[in-house]
Amino acid sequence: MGYDFSAIFQYFPYFLPAAWMTIEITVLGILLGLLLGLITAFAKISSKKFLNLPALGYIYMIRGTPLLLQLLFIYYGMRGILGLSALPSAVLALGIHNGAYIAEIFRGAIISISPGQMEAARSLGMTYPRAMLRIILPQAFKRSVPPLGNQFIIALKDSSLASTITINELLLKSQQLASSNFMMMEMLTIAAFFYLIYTGLFTWLFNSIEAKLETN
Amino acid sequence: MLENLIEIRNLHKWFGDLHVLKGIDLEVHPSEVVGIIGASGSGKSTLLRCVNFLERFQEGTISVQGRKVRDNEKEINAMRSKLGMVFQHFNLFPHMTVLGNVIEGPTQVLGKKKKEAKATGRYFLEKVGMLDKQDTYPNMLSGGQKQRVAIARSLAMQPEVMLFDEPTSALDPELVGEVLRVIKKLAEEGMTLMIVTHEMGFAREVADKVYFMDEGLIVEQGSPAQLFENPQKERTQAFLSQIL
Repeated sequence: MGYDFSAIFQYFPYFLPAAWMTIEITVLGILLGLLLGLITAFAKISSKKFLNLPALGYIYMIRGTPLLLQLLFIYYGMRGILGLSALPSAVLALGIHNGAYIAEIFRGAIISISPGQMEAARSLGMTYPRAMLRIILPQAFKRSVPPLGNQFIIALKDSSLASTITINELLLKSQQLASSNFMMMEMLTIAAFFYLIYTGLFTWLFNSIEAKLETN
Repeated sequence: MLENLIEIRNLHKWFGDLHVLKGIDLEVHPSEVVGIIGASGSGKSTLLRCVNFLERFQEGTISVQGRKVRDNEKEINAMRSKLGMVFQHFNLFPHMTVLGNVIEGPTQVLGKKKKEAKATGRYFLEKVGMLDKQDTYPNMLSGGQKQRVAIARSLAMQPEVMLFDEPTSALDPELVGEVLRVIKKLAEEGMTLMIVTHEMGFAREVADKVYFMDEGLIVEQGSPAQLFENPQKERTQAFLSQIL
């Protein structure tokens, strides 16, 4: 059995809903991850134990276990407790997972800003939150753009794990179709094509954000 | 008898087990230029940083305009806006233009309108000879230019006292002069200054009163003429003979 190029064009349209599903859970997961990441980064920087310790625990647990386990854990756990369906479970799992990594990206960027910046802001009489907002965060955000771009691409590819909890995204779609048409390589090629398009878009987007921040 | 603008009494500071300030008494009168000299590690920068609470101290008091500053956010912020601080490494905000740096304090802390703050900001940039660079970002400036902008940024808060923490130590030798000229001009205009410096010639020329610090103590104080030409203490003599 050879490789059938024409099948790629023939089956391409069937992948569109799956391609949409992939980008949907990725983007929602990333947005949730950004929110959790920002909160966790501040909590971890804080000298207050009641903020610091939960952040530490969260990051340790998420980085210390596989995403697949987290996905299954949330899917089966949430289904039992909250009656959550597959889609919210997938978004929640991706968001919680990425939140831990994004927290470390933000934290790293914040602590990489020279302490002299905070001192200069405080010695003008600024409060800590204002100095953070006006002086530290704009600089830290700029530094976190390249690693965030990287993390978003990882999140995109990790979204394929949601196939294990019945999310009909690109990978599950290709397997489903292949099980009926027996053209596994061709179907995987289509899925790969979409991933590469998305990765290209993310890369382009982040390069332009970086370039824009550079000129400012 | 002049009122003390800044009054430091029995200040002690430890970094862990290290006793870096061992009971400092110092006062700064209005329009006075106070120079603090001493070897590296003598505690002079730490002392200056304690004055605006960038370093916390364990014992002693600091009073500004006759009022003891208590260790709480509100009082410290209010006090800091009256003291201009100039750092060794400038610490300009790199994501803001020169003028943006200068109006940041007035707009964010004093609640000035942007238009008003810009007018005042330009006045102070003019004073330090940096008006033509108002729209430039700090990374395009030389060290001397950065420090002059940093001085304008502090002046824009219209502080009662300017604190200088080794303002020329990070500069190339040929850039020191332009910064010292600006500081000297402030002194001549009657601004109250507290300067930690390694520039002995400058301290001698500009200061009204010089403190010599060694190992966390003020060893000797006096007019520049007394201290530089006729030091009484052995440690002062030893330090000056090494430097001059």
